[in-house]
Amino acid sequence: MPFTLETMEEIASLHGEPAWLRKRRRSSFDAFERLPAPSRIDEEWRRTDVSGFDPGQYSKLEHLDGQKLVLPSTLPPGVILKPLRQAAQDHPDLVEPRLFSLVHADRDRFTALHAAFFTGGTFLYVPDGVVIEQPVIGQHFSHEGGTSVLPHTLIVAGKGARFNYLDEYIAEDGNEIGYRSGSTEIFAGEGSQVGYVAVQKWGRNAWHFADQRAELQKDASLRLFNVTLGARFSKTRVEATLQGQGADAELKAIYFASGEQFFDFHTLQDHQVGNTRSDLLFKGALQDVARTVYAGLIRIEKGAARSDAYQANRNLVLSDHAKATSIPMLEIDNNDVRCTHGATVGPVDPLSMFYLRSRGIPEATAKRMIVQGFFGDVLDRIPFEHARALVEAELEARLG
Amino acid sequence: MADFEIRNLRASVEGKEILKGVTLGINKGEVHAVMGPNGSGKSTLSHTLMGHPGYTVDGGTVLFKGQNVLELETDERARLGMFLALQYPVVVPGISMTNFLRTALNAKRGYDGKDKSKQVTPKEFRSLLKGELEVLHMDDSFLPRYINDGFSGGEKKRAEILQMAILKPEIAILDETDSGLDIDSIKFVADAVNRMRGPDLGVLIITHYTRILEFIKPDFVHVLVDGRFVLSGGPEVADRLEKTGYSEWAEADEPAVLKPEEVA
Repeated sequence: MPFTLETMEEIASLHGEPAWLRKRRRSSFDAFERLPAPSRIDEEWRRTDVSGFDPGQYSKLEHLDGQKLVLPSTLPPGVILKPLRQAAQDHPDLVEPRLFSLVHADRDRFTALHAAFFTGGTFLYVPDGVVIEQPVIGQHFSHEGGTSVLPHTLIVAGKGARFNYLDEYIAEDGNEIGYRSGSTEIFAGEGSQVGYVAVQKWGRNAWHFADQRAELQKDASLRLFNVTLGARFSKTRVEATLQGQGADAELKAIYFASGEQFFDFHTLQDHQVGNTRSDLLFKGALQDVARTVYAGLIRIEKGAARSDAYQANRNLVLSDHAKATSIPMLEIDNNDVRCTHGATVGPVDPLSMFYLRSRGIPEATAKRMIVQGFFGDVLDRIPFEHARALVEAELEARLG
Repeated sequence: MADFEIRNLRASVEGKEILKGVTLGINKGEVHAVMGPNGSGKSTLSHTLMGHPGYTVDGGTVLFKGQNVLELETDERARLGMFLALQYPVVVPGISMTNFLRTALNAKRGYDGKDKSKQVTPKEFRSLLKGELEVLHMDDSFLPRYINDGFSGGEKKRAEILQMAILKPEIAILDETDSGLDIDSIKFVADAVNRMRGPDLGVLIITHYTRILEFIKPDFVHVLVDGRFVLSGGPEVADRLEKTGYSEWAEADEPAVLKPEEVA
């Protein structure tokens, strides 16, 4: 099953997808065929080498809805939670205008491929004024190596809706090779409060591409937390557009790269109107020969007076051969704003190590404590307890 | 031979020779004070004994429990029974004092995450802490705080002594523990140290001023000038320094240096 038009049609007909979705897949496929592979001439891909990636090698699409939903024991009336493709059939009025409207299929060859062939994924719609107390959990599994797993999540929060959602990307084989994507679109309606956590744990030889993009209306608040642990190559975009006054986006992430892992993060805080706030903190630790690249942009548009934007990327480099690159960027078209950004890349403080070891704590334990401590303040920002416990345990296991 | 024996220790910092041959024997049950003017090598002595990465050993041995501790890693020295209360305790963000103390105590007991029988129980840990906190006039609100983060000077020094009380070393080096302390804090710290004094503990107090020695009475006092001992004796040496300071050595071009056997 190569990534061909025929395969695409087959996926679409398998579930009797509506015509509009078939058409959308079709135009995404055209974009995939039309767009060149990103090259190092493109600024965004200058440090990110995808020349070794041939999606055609992994064109066996795994279980066409490889996803498990962990439902809260009771869902309030009006809430829709179901596989995305089912929702496309049942609720075209909600899905059609939004699907791939934030994550554009023609942004690059990989977003196009994802949009043309996405399988699985979740649709969550929370109507105006509805609150879900327990978190909603979507688990996306890969069962074997050599395949493609391409889930897509679409979240719609009505006015004043309040809930938490977790996407967990799980490999059964920790060393799998393959093509993985996991993209998310979040529509945060007026005054809504959305917590979103994505935990990427694909196998250590996989290629991973993800676009997580949110749009916030007036007084909406989003707490987004990205955790990147898996894949040999991982490229993640985290983007928030602040469209209504009073909107508030908190974008946080942790990553831990070891062995030969390469992680690339691209973030955008787009303040389109004034009186908006964004707060971004990406923290990563690297060991062995791992490499990471962070590039983040704060964009304050002309009319966005009294915007408040903060962006920081902090890297703890645990080995002489690991390398972190950090590129913060500002694009400000209004003078009446408050903007702060900063980046740090550094090793474990030798004085801290000496101090812990002078109390009898062995080197490896001391180092682990310092890494955990480094992540501590940002872990506290994970928006709900279930995800916090999951991430802490995952981190502890990986720190050894 | 003394329980803890420093023999002809020489050490340098960034290529500059600081300790030029220090010999000193400390027995458990004894309190020794090393005094000296600024730049005499006091801090180099304490840091070198504990294996601080900024100091280079150029020669000599330090024998403790049949081992040359200079060949051991810092954490091995600590688990063998050495403790250094730092002049400038390090701030380590993200790690709580509780986690720090518990991990250190577990390490001391040989708990490596496997043999649960060696692990300190929460109950035991709590009761151990409670008693020591009282002696040091500390309340437990500082336990969830990050290591030394936002601590006042006095809190940092008291936290050092708390660690000592929890870890129960056999050789404790107190480096300028009195500097930056108000008189109350000095008394609390001294009380805590005096309570620990006994046949199982040898103490080396490193200090510029005699003040702390009014509260922790030393058995022996040694004067370090330019990386060597120039005077050694009982508590009366401190009394003499109280009156005359270090001027007699500061003025001498080549201060008379004690032979190793002349150090008490």
